[in-house]
Amino acid sequence: MAQARALDRRRKSVRNIRKITRTMELIATARFKKAMDRSVAARDYTKHLAKILENIASVGADVAHPLLEIRPTTRTAVLVLTGNRGLCGGYNGNVVRQSLALLGQWRSEQVATHVSVSGKRGISALKFRDISIDESYTIFEDKPEFAQVAPIGQAYLAAYAAGEIDRLDVAYTRFDGIARQEAVTEMLLPLAPPQAAGETAAKLASDEYDFYPSAGSILQELLPASFMARLFKCFLDAAVSEQVARMVAMKAATENAGGLIKSLSRQYNRARQSQITGEIMEILGGVEALKQ
Amino acid sequence: MSEQKQTSRGGRGIQCVVVTPETTVFDTTASFVSLPLDDGQRGVGLGHAPFIGRLGVGEVRVAARQSGGQTSRFFVEGGFVEVAHDTVTVITQRAVAADSIDAQEARRELERVQSAKAVGPQAIEERLKASEAARSMVRVAGRSR
Repeated sequence: MAQARALDRRRKSVRNIRKITRTMELIATARFKKAMDRSVAARDYTKHLAKILENIASVGADVAHPLLEIRPTTRTAVLVLTGNRGLCGGYNGNVVRQSLALLGQWRSEQVATHVSVSGKRGISALKFRDISIDESYTIFEDKPEFAQVAPIGQAYLAAYAAGEIDRLDVAYTRFDGIARQEAVTEMLLPLAPPQAAGETAAKLASDEYDFYPSAGSILQELLPASFMARLFKCFLDAAVSEQVARMVAMKAATENAGGLIKSLSRQYNRARQSQITGEIMEILGGVEALKQ
Repeated sequence: MSEQKQTSRGGRGIQCVVVTPETTVFDTTASFVSLPLDDGQRGVGLGHAPFIGRLGVGEVRVAARQSGGQTSRFFVEGGFVEVAHDTVTVITQRAVAADSIDAQEARRELERVQSAKAVGPQAIEERLKASEAARSMVRVAGRSR
């Protein structure tokens, strides 16, 4: 009986695990939907900003701005966006790997690097590799708020303006759609110069916008705003991707648990049956012995 | 000018949209929109010439199209506005509906900003900006009551 009972016990514990992973999958699904809604709602802002930027670029305004000039990189900043929690497949590991590649590159070029990490997972992963972290955040969960991201962005802008950093890279998981998320490193500062879009140029020319107070002055404000929007989008993407990764990982775990239960059940039934057969044989043996 | 007017929208009302980095706060058809530009309030009626402007701190007022409809007020802190084809798009980092501003909270904030010490030209400018923002918020809050 011992083997059958042990199998049964294992089966029960796997069942409990399956219950947990299934619940986690459901939670991740719900959170993903919410995060996705937020991400979609935030797109309008970026879209309108980009439109104004295009307009200004197409009137040929003077687009010289400190945020646009590319300086030789002597000091750089890296921001790593990971999750606070694990159990989400390769989500955290992939971002950490991306950031390590970048940090390694800066180290080999002997560039001083300011490292900021968001998420407990990333913090402990980098600490484990003996990388000193200058700043860490654990406040970002599945709903990053603009008011939380804004101070971080302002600090980077101020550091960039003061010449304390020449470049900012963000390592995060880009969300390209529900079936595709990719850990990437993106350069956010200096900003890519605005380009007048070719196809819409004809339409824009007919609009002939006036600028109050002037195109240059709007640009002064617009570039920091578009940097903030991009930074915020990184946080939103990271949040959505984390939920997707967790959803997928927990779905796989639930399915694996199901398979494990099936094979354990089979083993258990076989063990029980062979035990019964053995007992019958014993009884029959006993009966035969009594007859004689 | 006449060929620029879109007949589909012209004559009906102004599409007014307020977007922040997080979401679209407000989207409606209005008859008149008043905007706090960098250098003063500016009104936009039907058929206004297209322009892009920088917003200061202040109140966006949107008069509803239907007579007797509610006028919506928002407190915005900087940002941009794009006006074209009877569409007004307000793009701002922060937009708060005027009736959800806590007037006392705003006043406390103003006092806090005004009592703060600022040393150096940059800090002084920042303080000026902050106190202007706080004062404007108090004003908007006061008006909505």
